Amino acid sequence: MKREVQRKRMLSVAFALISIFYLFPVFVVLMNSFKSNGSINTETFALPNESSFMGLQNYIKGMTFGNYPFFKSVFFSFFITVVSSALILLCCSMAAWYIARVGDKACNTVYYLCVFSMVVPFQMVMFTLSRTADKLALDTPWTIPVVYLGFGAGLAIFMFVGFVKSIPLEIEEAAAIDGCGPIRTFFMVVLPMLKPTLISVGVLEIMWVWNDYLLPYLVLDRNQYMTIPIHIQYLKGSYGTVDMGATMALILLSIVPVIIFYLICQKHIIKGVAAGAVKG
Amino acid sequence: MAEVILRDIKKVYPHSETKRTGLFKKKKVTEQHRVSHLKITEEGVVAVDNFNLEIKDQEFIVLVGPSGCGKSTTLRMIAGLEDISGGELIIDGNVMNDVPPKERDIAMVFQNYALYPHMTVRENMAFSLKIKGLPKEEIEKKVEEAAEILDITQYLDRKPKALSGGQRQRVAIGRAIVRNPKVFLMDEPLSNLDAKLRNQMRAEIIKLRSRINTTFIYVTHDQTEAMTLGDRIVIMKDGEVQQIGTPQEVFDHPANLFVAGFIGMPQMNMFDAELVRDGDKYCVKLEDFTVELSKEKTERMLAKDVQSQPVTLGVRPEHVELAKKGVDATVDVSEMMGSEVHLHVNVEGKDAIIIVPTLDLESSDFKMGDKVTFNFGGNVAHIFSREDEKNLEW
Ligand SMILES: Nc1ncnc2c1ncn2[C@@H]1O[C@H](COP(=O)(O)OP(=O)(O)OP(=O)(O)O)[C@@H](O)[C@H]1O
Ligand SMILES: [Mg+2]
Repeated sequence: MKREVQRKRMLSVAFALISIFYLFPVFVVLMNSFKSNGSINTETFALPNESSFMGLQNYIKGMTFGNYPFFKSVFFSFFITVVSSALILLCCSMAAWYIARVGDKACNTVYYLCVFSMVVPFQMVMFTLSRTADKLALDTPWTIPVVYLGFGAGLAIFMFVGFVKSIPLEIEEAAAIDGCGPIRTFFMVVLPMLKPTLISVGVLEIMWVWNDYLLPYLVLDRNQYMTIPIHIQYLKGSYGTVDMGATMALILLSIVPVIIFYLICQKHIIKGVAAGAVKG
Repeated sequence: MAEVILRDIKKVYPHSETKRTGLFKKKKVTEQHRVSHLKITEEGVVAVDNFNLEIKDQEFIVLVGPSGCGKSTTLRMIAGLEDISGGELIIDGNVMNDVPPKERDIAMVFQNYALYPHMTVRENMAFSLKIKGLPKEEIEKKVEEAAEILDITQYLDRKPKALSGGQRQRVAIGRAIVRNPKVFLMDEPLSNLDAKLRNQMRAEIIKLRSRINTTFIYVTHDQTEAMTLGDRIVIMKDGEVQQIGTPQEVFDHPANLFVAGFIGMPQMNMFDAELVRDGDKYCVKLEDFTVELSKEKTERMLAKDVQSQPVTLGVRPEHVELAKKGVDATVDVSEMMGSEVHLHVNVEGKDAIIIVPTLDLESSDFKMGDKVTFNFGGNVAHIFSREDEKNLEW
């Protein structure tokens, strides 16, 4: 008994240390976002003191910097993230349902192509992709979710197919007898049952799209459309010198929505990821 | 509330092996057939063949047979979950072969309950009515009524996960009865329950049946369920109907060796014997023991003009008596069951069971190797042909 308690305490300490390692960079960013450029460079890890403390000046500078309004980047980031994730969840769950239930040659081919696409690194396809996206007019925030759908489909379909296969077919048959056609069966019976997987896939895709830098950078027309990561990078590029303070401030701002999202959905996320781990 | 007629129903699973895929038909899989006794033709595996049955309004029909004999397939064809390869399915005068399940006005209870896990019990039961677009109050009323009948009112707001197997099964039945279907299909609804609960639910189904007047088609592999529930029983083997009849008929006059062995616990004893015709009389000869067949049996056999021949003789264990004169046997095991003793004996290398009521015994103490003598009456001897295993009386 005693040993058990001791073991738990040891684990707590270990995990506390690990979480400090994880939180430390965030903390450094937070700290530096309130310091002047000079002191960021010279004493990166020091707490802000009277001479280096800048108040909210870095934030104001970051948000008003240059001739591209920050709120526009925020809007595009939000828009792309929400639409892409929604598109991935909806299309991939439908496709996965069909693949898992029909499973003929064509379905299997598509399935393995999807799985295969997971192992192809983005860097391998990025140049051909940006050309193709240009040609197909996928180079605006309104259409780039289609590109994300393509890249997100691999993982999403893989996870959804795994889960659908674990659902007993009889439930769908019961729905058919109860009077549902395929559409209603999917939306009223299958989709709600997929909820744990929807959440875990959703989290993964949202984080990925929100933080993604390379794809929008290559595809979008930078003069017209920016996302937050591009905007941050833009702070650095145009002067030659780097405005570290403003960069830190914007980085912090870009983390905030993700943290809020996580806190709101925490309960579901943990459940969903656990379920995905067992079933997927 | 409907007549169901199955005429020459046939089911062939094509060689490219289609698997059940829910709403999307046809799924190719490479899976070995579970049972190898099925007929395999050029088209594919014949899972059900030549199934003829006229089910009267409000009748309770039980399909029974060993695993893999095509009971579920038949039921699923009636439900519309499986294509019908040949023949006609008529419900209430309308041919239903190509009508989708939702338009057949049937309800089905699955072996694994198949409740919607994300809905509460109430929502589960209300689902089909909601799809139909009934007004809220009416749905509520029907659900409450059904819950009342099944005694699940207190669980209405729980999710299926929080229910026991028996409760889930009630919900599954409730989901079916709220719809007031023409035909009520059940596929082994009790086989996931433990023995005690199964007996209890069996009684409930009998009660339920008297309260809702619907045609029932019930699949089971348990002969006790079949005998106690069914108005008529359909006994199947390898996709073919062996016999259709009331429980009494099936028990008293099994059509062939398979039915004789399948119905009745413990199994009917089978012996190699000799049928001897002597003018207008029939005798059956087992070892040195000869018994004359009863008048009805004799009449039926005379009508068929059965000749003397070697036969398989079947006698139920409960119809065998210990006696001074008769067939000699050696005791292997004796099982004391309380009011009776089951004697497993050996007759010339063949095993047989004799049920002896303890009342008739001075001592119920049989030891291995004891010699006993038994006989039986001419009214309980079932005579089966050696060639085609059919009952020679019918
Ligand atoms: N998709 C399929 N492809 C080929 N053969 C099949 C297929 N589905 C079922 N069968 C065969 O049809 C036969 C009847 O199956 P069915 O499920 O009706 O048996 P059952 O009588 O319900 O058995 P159980 O008591 O085990 O449920 C089985 O022998 C099975 O091998
Ligand atoms: Mg079955």
